[in-house]
Amino acid sequence: MDDWSETKREGFTAVKLRTIRYFFKEAFVNLFRNGWMSLASIGAVASALIIFGSFLMISINFDYIAKNVESQVEITAYVEDSVDKLKINQIELGIKSIDGVKEVVFVSKEQALEEFKKQVGEELLEGIENPLPNSFRVKVETPQEVAGVAERIQKIDGIEEVKYGKGVVEKLFKITYWMRLVGLAVMAIFAAISVFIISNTIRITVFSRRREISIMKYIGATDWFVRWPFLIEGMMLGFTGSLIAIALLAAGYSYLYDMVKLNVPMIPLLHLEEFYDYSLGLLLMGTFLGAFGSGFSMRRFLRV
Amino acid sequence: MQHIIEMVGVSKIYPGGCVALRDINVKIEKGEFVFLVGPTGAGKSTFLKLLFREELPTRGQIFINGKNITRLKPKEVPYLRRRLGVVFQDFRLLPQKTVYENVAFAMEVIEASPREIRRRVPKVIEMVGLSHKMNSRPHELSGGEQQRAALARALVNNPDVIIADEPTGNLDPDTSWEIMKLLDEINKKGTTLIVATHAKELVDAMKKRVLQLEDGRLVRDEERGVYRCET
Ligand SMILES: Nc1ncnc2c1ncn2[C@@H]1O[C@H](COP(=O)(O)OP(=O)(O)OP(=O)(O)O)[C@@H](O)[C@H]1O
Ligand SMILES: [Mg+2]
Repeated sequence: MDDWSETKREGFTAVKLRTIRYFFKEAFVNLFRNGWMSLASIGAVASALIIFGSFLMISINFDYIAKNVESQVEITAYVEDSVDKLKINQIELGIKSIDGVKEVVFVSKEQALEEFKKQVGEELLEGIENPLPNSFRVKVETPQEVAGVAERIQKIDGIEEVKYGKGVVEKLFKITYWMRLVGLAVMAIFAAISVFIISNTIRITVFSRRREISIMKYIGATDWFVRWPFLIEGMMLGFTGSLIAIALLAAGYSYLYDMVKLNVPMIPLLHLEEFYDYSLGLLLMGTFLGAFGSGFSMRRFLRV
Repeated sequence: MQHIIEMVGVSKIYPGGCVALRDINVKIEKGEFVFLVGPTGAGKSTFLKLLFREELPTRGQIFINGKNITRLKPKEVPYLRRRLGVVFQDFRLLPQKTVYENVAFAMEVIEASPREIRRRVPKVIEMVGLSHKMNSRPHELSGGEQQRAALARALVNNPDVIIADEPTGNLDPDTSWEIMKLLDEINKKGTTLIVATHAKELVDAMKKRVLQLEDGRLVRDEERGVYRCET
C-alpha cells in the first residue's frame, strides 16, 4: 500500500475507453465554446496548406513536363565529310557500345536532304550541291544520360559535331528546383503561422480554464489526463483545416486542368487522381500542426 | 512505528526572500488529528502546501508514509495527491458543475469506474449532510454548504490524510462547530487530519494536538492543546 506502484499507469498505456470518451467530449465542447477562434485556426491551417499544396502541385507538374520533354530528347551526331562507308560502320558500332545507348539510326546525306526538302520546299534547293553531312540519331535509356553519352560520342574519331536539346532540359530542371525551394520556404512560414494561431486559440481555452486545470492537478490528475482534450481539440482544428484545403485544391486543380487541356493540349499534365497520396500527406500534416500548436500552448499551465 | 507525516529540518524561503518556515521538525502519526494555529502570516498555509507539493521546501526533507516527497518526479506527484484530500480555503469547486459532478469529477480524474462513482458519490455527499443540494451549483450554495461540498470531494477517494486550510474561515460559530464535528467523525474512522485554523474556541474545545507556528517557527507542540497559552 505504501509504494507508489500506480505510478506506472502514466501515459498512453492504461487509458480506458471511458476516459477517451471524456477526452473527446471535452475537446468538442471547447471547440464550440471558442467558435470564432476555432474558425480562425481552421482558416490558418487551410491557407497554409493551400499555399503549400499549390506549390507542390505546380512543381510536381513541372517535373512531369521536364521528364516528358527529356524523354523526347535525342542526340544527333554529324559525321565528317571525309569519312568513308567502312569507317561509318565502325563509328556506328562505337556508338552502340557506349553504355546507356538505346537506339542508333544512321541518316545518310541523301536522306537528310530529302527531309530538309520536305521542310523548306523542293525549289529552293534546286541545283545546289548537297551541303548536309551524314549523321546518326541516337536515343538513350534514361534522360539523365544524354549529356554524358553526347560527350562520349563526340570523342569518337570521325565525328564532327554532336547536338542535343542542351539548355532546354537544364532550364526546366532549374525551374523545378527553385519551385521546390520556394515552396518549402513558403510552407515553413505558413506552418509557423498556423502553429502560432492554433496555439493562441488553445491558449485562450487553456487560460480561461487555468483554474479548472490547477484544480484537476491538485486533486490528482496526471498531465496527460489534462492534456489530451486540448491535443484532440488541436488535432480536430488541424484536420478540418486540411480537409478544406484539400477540397479547394482539388476543385482549383481540376478547373485549371480542364482549361489547359482545352487551350494548350500539347502540355502534358498529371491527372488529379495522381495527387491522392499527397492529399493524405496534407491531412496528416494539418492534424500534426494542430496537435503541435495546442501542445505548445499547454506547457506553462501544467506546472502546478 | 513509521509516521504518516514527518518533516525534518524544513525551511521555506519564498522567491523574494520571505522566510515562511524555519527549521520545522514534526512527526505526525497515522490517525492523528492535528491543529495548526498561529497568527496570520505565521506559515500555516505554507506548511500545508508543502505536504501536497504545491510548494517545495527550500531546505529539509518531508516524508509521507516513509516516502521522501521532496524527491518525487513530476510524474509521481499526481499519485501523491491522490492519497491526500485537500480542502482549500477558497473551496476551489468547479463553478459550472453541480455538487454531485464536482465530487464525481475527483473520481473521474483518477479514472474510477462509473459504477464505483455512482455508488460512492451519493454516500459521501450524504456523509457531509448535503444530499438535498446534490444538484445545485456552487453559486447556489451558502458558504457552509460549499465547505461541505469541498470536504466531500476531498473525502471521496478515501485519502490517507485530509488537509484542511481554515475550513471554518468565513463561517458562523454554529456552522463552524458542525464542520469540526464532521472532521472529528472522519478522523474517528481512521483518517489522519491536519487542520489550519484561527478558530480559538474550537481548538480549545476539541482538545487535540496543537502545533503553533509563529513567524515561521514551530513554537509549541502540545497534546490536547489550546489555541494559545495565556501568560
Ligand atoms: N507565494 C508566495 N510568495 C512569496 N511569499 C509568500 C507566498 N506565500 C506566502 N508568502 C509569505 O509567507 C509567509 C507565510 O505565509 P502563509 O500563507 O503560510 O501564512 P498563514 O499562516 O497561512 O497566514 P494566514 O493565517 O493569513 O492564512 C507570509 O509572510 C506570506 O507573505
Ligand atoms: Mg493561510
